[in-house]
Amino acid sequence: MVKRVFQRPLNIIERILFIDFIKGLTVTLKQAFRRTITTHYPYEKLTPPKRFRGFLGHKVIDGREPQPAFNEWVERMKIEVRPGSSRCVVCLLCKRACPVPQLFEIEPEKLPNGKRVIGVFNMNLMLCTFCGLCVDACPVDCLFNSDIHETASYSRKDAILDLKALEEIGRDWQRRREKEEDKIWSDDEQRQRLWYENDVSIR
Amino acid sequence: MMEIAINLLIILIKILVILAIALGIGAYLTLVERKVAAHIQRRPGPMVVGWHGLLQPIADGVKLITKEDLFPRYGNRFLYNLALIMALVPAVLVFAVVPFGPTIEIGGREIKPILTDVNVGILLVFGLGSLAVYAIALAGWASNSKYALIGSMRKAGIIISYEVAITFAVMGPLMLAGTLSTFEIVQAQIDQKLWYFWVQPVAFVVYMFSLLAETGRIPFDIQEAEAELVTGFTVEYGGIKFGLFPLVEWYVEVLTLSAIAVVLFFGGWSPINIPFLGFVDPLFFLGPFAPFVWFVLKVALLLLFVLWLHWTLPRYRIDQITAIAWKVMLPLALLNLVITAVIAPLIWR
Repeated sequence: MVKRVFQRPLNIIERILFIDFIKGLTVTLKQAFRRTITTHYPYEKLTPPKRFRGFLGHKVIDGREPQPAFNEWVERMKIEVRPGSSRCVVCLLCKRACPVPQLFEIEPEKLPNGKRVIGVFNMNLMLCTFCGLCVDACPVDCLFNSDIHETASYSRKDAILDLKALEEIGRDWQRRREKEEDKIWSDDEQRQRLWYENDVSIR
Repeated sequence: MMEIAINLLIILIKILVILAIALGIGAYLTLVERKVAAHIQRRPGPMVVGWHGLLQPIADGVKLITKEDLFPRYGNRFLYNLALIMALVPAVLVFAVVPFGPTIEIGGREIKPILTDVNVGILLVFGLGSLAVYAIALAGWASNSKYALIGSMRKAGIIISYEVAITFAVMGPLMLAGTLSTFEIVQAQIDQKLWYFWVQPVAFVVYMFSLLAETGRIPFDIQEAEAELVTGFTVEYGGIKFGLFPLVEWYVEVLTLSAIAVVLFFGGWSPINIPFLGFVDPLFFLGPFAPFVWFVLKVALLLLFVLWLHWTLPRYRIDQITAIAWKVMLPLALLNLVITAVIAPLIWR
């Protein structure tokens, strides 16, 4: 149902003295002398929320893997566990889940003792839409979205993340934000603190 | 012989100073406008080039000059360039009759801080102001583009409507002063101890509306109308040619019309006025510079008011704009003229 709002026509005094103009002008004048609310982007940056979907990375084996899933998958895929390197168990579920599967290039490396480790893991981020389906599919909490969002690069080659770069992003993330509480951004204290540095209240 | 040479030298210096003021301040008004607009929208505006973006106009100028000069294939090159000159020259020429202060003495020689104190100064202002319509009509026509043509036709319609209203509006102050010379209008206001704003508020409102319409400021910027007409008649201009049109239209013309408004309604270089009693001068400590400071201050405040309006109000439709001109502003100005004719003898005494 449409709510009918009665609009009062201007009376003669309001017409002559430009009352509506003056109302508008007071609003803009009031705003003009308040503090600015912008971020001077290249010079100051806001921290994205933890759930932000930025560059992808590989978390490394550090004893905090989801159990018993990790041990089951290691057994099933005959993976050699190397602490400090990628948690990947070469199950290819991320490639299965991806809407553009050709952006993944995943090859296991066979070791002489019959076990395997991840050998090649390239992600072509020029094709990636950062939808996060691969992250949801990962059974061992290895692949994840980090908060790195400045994705510009000087060549197309730089847009392809190899295993080394993915592990690097993962180690960086685990050091900085792994222990942070998972909240949506509007009540994220860290983000609000950055806003309050400009003395701004967001509503 | 010597006398003529010195007079010519004085005039040359005046021309250089006025040109520097008109174009230099015109360029820096782009920064002022961007800052005002930004702060009204709670942004800081240009901050990177120089301290708080103070060198931004220079950077913009260098960028515009070094850009490629494009020309529409089926346009008329002669009219295309002529339009630019016809926009720039009359707008700057109006400064010839703007009085900046009272007569001063330098080296035993009386100098009026006005380029030419012609006795039809105000007529000259509005004659040159009307010439702007040719520049805009030519710009739209020579570009051979539909957006440019629609924009220029709208602008021509607006200017023709408001030239009538503004002429009748300024007739009130002219009648009270009894002269067309800008210098003597200010002198008359000082002698009568009366800013004409106090007895001519209706004329002032009509004048302000016409100022906004003629310079293409919001709420009358329908010839620009970014959303529908890209930028109106400047669409096909590129580089510094594109830069000059807004410079002239939005800044130099606003500056000249604000200065004329100050001369007509706010007593030029006189301090704050109490009607019929006298003048209060809080800036007396500046001595001989006080009148110049007062003049600049008044023009600056009027200019900021125009910018403030620009970033507050929405835009009228073209038919509403012309309807306001013919149905509201012109009858108001005529009524004001009649009332002024009745009360004028009281003010002449």
